Amino acid sequence: MRISTRGSYALEAVMAIALYPDEQIISIREISERTQISDNYLEQIFSLLRKNKIISSSRGAYGGYQLARPAGLILVGDVLRATEKSISPVMCVEENSSCGKSANCVTRTAWKKLFGAISETVDVISIADLVRDFNRKITWESVDYSI
Amino acid sequence: MKLSTKCRYGLRALVDLAVFSERGHVALHEIAKRQEISLKYLEQDFSVLRRAGIVKSVKGAQGGYLLTKSPSEIRLSEIVSVLEGDLLLIEIDDPEQTDIRLFLTQQVWTRLNQNVSESLHSICLSDLVDDYRMQQSGEGMYYI
Repeated sequence: MRISTRGSYALEAVMAIALYPDEQIISIREISERTQISDNYLEQIFSLLRKNKIISSSRGAYGGYQLARPAGLILVGDVLRATEKSISPVMCVEENSSCGKSANCVTRTAWKKLFGAISETVDVISIADLVRDFNRKITWESVDYSI
Repeated sequence: MKLSTKCRYGLRALVDLAVFSERGHVALHEIAKRQEISLKYLEQDFSVLRRAGIVKSVKGAQGGYLLTKSPSEIRLSEIVSVLEGDLLLIEIDDPEQTDIRLFLTQQVWTRLNQNVSESLHSICLSDLVDDYRMQQSGEGMYYI
């Protein structure tokens, strides 16, 4: 039961883009420098994020990436669902998926509760929340407390 | 991100054992038959569960298994960590830390791991047994 490196790197990359001012187009090299994730790996991740309309790309000499919608409308769960095959702990709690016994299955009830805990965690945090907290943290850390 | 078959089948077998062991130990082949899980598979699961002290075996021709404690004292967090190896939804041990990675570890991944543990800790094996009994007293077929 694991979220893969692809999922966690995707969130890092989206966060890296979101830290720039709105509308700015960021090159893959800048994102790679910021996240220490290789260009190649980023390209793979970005193709999934683009398909799921989380980021958009522009071509050309000054081409690059930007968020496809406001950071407040992108949830951590959206990024994970776009890059992980699934974020559910068992198949039978997903939509349109059941084994014929599922309506009255007691272990499924337990797994559903677990899935609920996972979904609730990732679907209450938006990229905008993360950017806000990240910037606040940076400000705190740079405060000099000496008298 | 999926729980292993070992874990899913293991939990079903434990609920079955909890339901049917009230009058004494239960043979593994009975659980296998009721749950439609291969006996070989269950033998592997139960050897792990026995070593972890969740079940104990009764030897002999009429042998079988018992839970070592009451189902209300066995939490899903214990069962899943034994059968999966741990309860982590995401591993946190990357030595190449960037500021973003450190931040996300603190703000997202640690919280996610905690919420998974808490959710599993909040469910006891007896909750599933109660669900099963309650459903059985109703109509229709119910499953573990």
